[in-house]
Amino acid sequence: MAHGIMDGTDGWGTGGCLSRLSDSGREVLLGITGKDFTIIAASKAAVRGITILKAEDDKTRALNQHTLMAYSGEAGDTVQFAEYIQANVALYGMRTNLTQELSPPAVANFVRNQLATSLRSRNAKHVNLLIGGFDPVKKTPHLYWMDYLAAKAEVPYAAHGYAAYYCLSILDKHHHPDIDLEKGKELLKMCIGELRHRMPIEFKGMRVKVVSAEGITELEEF
Amino acid sequence: MDTIIAKYSTNAFEEEEEYNAATASKPTTDLSFSLPPISQPSSFLRSVTDDAANPDVPIKIAHGTTTLAFRFQGGIIVATDSRATAGNWIASQTVKKVIEINDKMLGTMAGGAADCQFWLGYLGMECRLHELRHKRRITVAAASKILSNIVYSYKGMGISMGSMIAGVTPLEGPALYYVDSDGTRLQGDLFCVGSGQSFAYGVLDAEYKYDLSVEDALALGSRSILAATHRDAYSGGYINLYHVKEEGWVKHGFSDTHPIFWDTKIKKGEFSNVNTTIVGEKAEKS
Amino acid sequence: MSSPFSINGGACVAMVGKDCVAIGCDLRLGNQALTISNTFPKIFNYGQTYLGLTGLATDVLTVSDLFRYKVNMYRLREERDIEPETMANLVSSSLYEKRFGPYFVSPVIAGLNSRTGKPFICGFDSIGCIDFAKDFIVSGTASDQLFGTCESFWEPDLGPEELFETISQSLLNSVDRDALSGWGAEVYVITKDGVTKRLLKGRQD
Repeated sequence: MAHGIMDGTDGWGTGGCLSRLSDSGREVLLGITGKDFTIIAASKAAVRGITILKAEDDKTRALNQHTLMAYSGEAGDTVQFAEYIQANVALYGMRTNLTQELSPPAVANFVRNQLATSLRSRNAKHVNLLIGGFDPVKKTPHLYWMDYLAAKAEVPYAAHGYAAYYCLSILDKHHHPDIDLEKGKELLKMCIGELRHRMPIEFKGMRVKVVSAEGITELEEF
Repeated sequence: MDTIIAKYSTNAFEEEEEYNAATASKPTTDLSFSLPPISQPSSFLRSVTDDAANPDVPIKIAHGTTTLAFRFQGGIIVATDSRATAGNWIASQTVKKVIEINDKMLGTMAGGAADCQFWLGYLGMECRLHELRHKRRITVAAASKILSNIVYSYKGMGISMGSMIAGVTPLEGPALYYVDSDGTRLQGDLFCVGSGQSFAYGVLDAEYKYDLSVEDALALGSRSILAATHRDAYSGGYINLYHVKEEGWVKHGFSDTHPIFWDTKIKKGEFSNVNTTIVGEKAEKS
Repeated sequence: MSSPFSINGGACVAMVGKDCVAIGCDLRLGNQALTISNTFPKIFNYGQTYLGLTGLATDVLTVSDLFRYKVNMYRLREERDIEPETMANLVSSSLYEKRFGPYFVSPVIAGLNSRTGKPFICGFDSIGCIDFAKDFIVSGTASDQLFGTCESFWEPDLGPEELFETISQSLLNSVDRDALSGWGAEVYVITKDGVTKRLLKGRQD
């Protein structure tokens, strides 16, 4: 096999990539699905360099009534990309005159396509995503993990950044597909507790939202 | 009175530590390592062995590990995985990462496989010599300090090691120390070391209590390693489990993670991320 | 591990038998050492032709979607399914179209020609050089290991069940020696009478 021709080619420039990653790695994104809901949680700290600029940041955007997207990554890219997606999902709905909104899998595919297209453009968006949703027709929860390269996977629970290294093993042990919201919140508290205990980064707590048949609601108890 | 005793006993303890620190700096055997005949041997070595910076290095040193140890009511639990990797190549699935220093003390290995194996073996020798010289067993504090002093003396030369020394002595009771090649040496109740450390911490912290029963403590140690082998590509193979008690350590098996994983999944319903059927289809299992 | 080919990990293998072919892949999606998902199949079917894609996960998805579109367009124009040989040339020319900014994937094709019933397998590099083979094709981060196991296990004229056993053992034993692939596997055996898809229970470490 002759991919010798590609040797030494690194399409992204590793050095720059790593330094940008370590910055976005401090941001915490968590997602947990249950029987009839998906929880999306994102850290409240907006950090630039050595300063926490804001301690009540919201790193999520609602894409439609039953789909919520949480983002982390390069400053500027994140909100620009999220709001672009938000507007275009709405536009898609208007153009096709949908009587029903796009399902979470459809939204996730659309987002992946946009991010994958961006990746091979002159200035790629460096954004990591969790897309949580609830399909009101099929009554199923959905959670998609997607990194800035637009690699996508549907998973029962997910995390981005350094948090993944602490939380995934906890969720591997304590998560079941048919958990109720109370158990979901309890799991999330376990994860946040571990992050506070072991991660040498102040993330100013988590903003937590639940997507269910009723739509998107924020949980104030966190 | 109590304060006087307390003061006196810590003094004696520290004196021994100081004493050993002094003897350890004079190696009992002649340890002269040959060096490449160039001006900067350490940076040369780094340039040919650091596979994190460059995956195509000519010398790939085996590393990647999960090890843990924690103190509890019934003594100390020590558990490790058994995988050695050189780059993405799994060099071995049956590495013994626990070294039995004597019948009451254990050391764990993470980092450079050869560095750990050599220096923990050397520590075993130093501990035996201490016993012959002083007619009593070395303390865990002193043993860990010998190791710490040795690796610190080679700082900057490229030694890579993250170790835990666990043992019981009449003076200290059950004691646990963390030692690494930066020169850090910490006494503590709970440590996880290696590329899979955070996964092990996640499971361990959630259910760790000092009052754990022996059975529960062994199960928790084993489950924490299993968690790390599942999520960390550079950890895997077998779970090596030890229990350090007053009477000395007891080995609790060297068990393959494969049947343990499927048992844990099917009987307890954990690892719901792993499918047993092709999504939306009935699948055969071989 | 900054090569785009080994960020996510993954392995794929195809084999020829007597009047049958088999193709298998692992299920891991990782981000360097961290395993993200254990349900990331790398084989996609286009009518009776099967395409395995290893390499950068985003390109595995992009390229599989691209060929779904192209093969559907082919089917509409020709009013028939695409043959494996035709698919091979479509894959090759589509990859070379991106010669100066390639998709970081190593594709593998397996299928039976619907007219002649002849088994067909082939592999590609990331810019479309076709590697025709009469025995087996391997790709992914465990390709070195797969070459070893396939060289020793494969023999000519294996029946569908023997071929399944051969490809499964080759795949499972290879990924068990690669840190970046494994965590379960899928195998398809394609005969003129139909296709069987099986999930293999692999090591989860």
